[in-house]
Amino acid sequence: MYFVIGDYGAGMLIGALTALAVRAAVWPGMDMVIAMLLGMVIGMAIHTVLGLLLSPLLGMFETMLPASVIGMYGGMLFGMRDSMAAGSQTLTAALTVGALFGAIVVLGIKVYDHALRGAVVDAGD
Amino acid sequence: MDIETQRKWDAASRSLDFFAWGDDHRLGPHKRRLFSKIHGATLMVAAGTGNDFKFFPPSQHIVAIDISPEMLGRAAKKAAAYQGTIELRVMDVCELPFVDASFDTVVTVCTFCSVPRPVVGLRELYRVLKPDGQLLMFEHVRSKIGPFGIFLDLMTPLSRHLGPDLNRDTVGNVQKAGFRLRREENVYLDIVKIIEAGKG
Repeated sequence: MYFVIGDYGAGMLIGALTALAVRAAVWPGMDMVIAMLLGMVIGMAIHTVLGLLLSPLLGMFETMLPASVIGMYGGMLFGMRDSMAAGSQTLTAALTVGALFGAIVVLGIKVYDHALRGAVVDAGD
Repeated sequence: MDIETQRKWDAASRSLDFFAWGDDHRLGPHKRRLFSKIHGATLMVAAGTGNDFKFFPPSQHIVAIDISPEMLGRAAKKAAAYQGTIELRVMDVCELPFVDASFDTVVTVCTFCSVPRPVVGLRELYRVLKPDGQLLMFEHVRSKIGPFGIFLDLMTPLSRHLGPDLNRDTVGNVQKAGFRLRREENVYLDIVKIIEAGKG
């Protein structure tokens, strides 16, 4: 249970901080490609720092992989969204969207992990 | 001896145990399950700070090697606490001094993400393994899942400076070295894997 709560908590924290940082750096009307790349760089910086800080508590790969998807791809998504003025109107809404995105990614990866686990090759079969 | 690699891991030895708690709790049971297959004369490659010694079954005699003297210095206390014997030796996996067919079991844990010439190192393991011996590996590899694979490729130039590569094809390298794959198991996504192989 510790790791389940920790995984979702870490994902939501990284998602919320990424959404917040991208919102602060990207303004409506910014070139969408630049906004996307800027969002990606911001997201990667956040996920690298937070991932390294949290991985001793949650495991290196179980932290860094979801964090990378949330930071890198979430940063791109939030950047494009904010540049189109389609982003969250309030700070609370931005944090909520980021946290929700983080939780959905963690859930998706857990489902994927569950599906992939087990023997791929077994000569004893 | 690869001095550059030795220096890198000497430096990394200071922080390795800091990251261990989470991995020990999440991956430890899988390592214990894999190591329960250890039998006979056993070689552990890249023992590091000895963090995985606690997952070994008791009463074994294990030769544990690492390229880094600093790592083995930190591993000494954990080796002494093991209920069996663990002999620590500074050694490069690419230049093993053992005669052919010396070991019944060879164990690696997150090793071939770091060996600069992985196929050369694996060929050495093939050489020192007995004909009916077993190679037991707990390794992380490059994901074949698009977004994860791209992330691991992007992070590797950074991670390589501090420690391991994140995008190795270790399963392919095992086969390139001449081993026959007996079992491949996904432990976390398709990245953290148990790999079991033999000579025939």
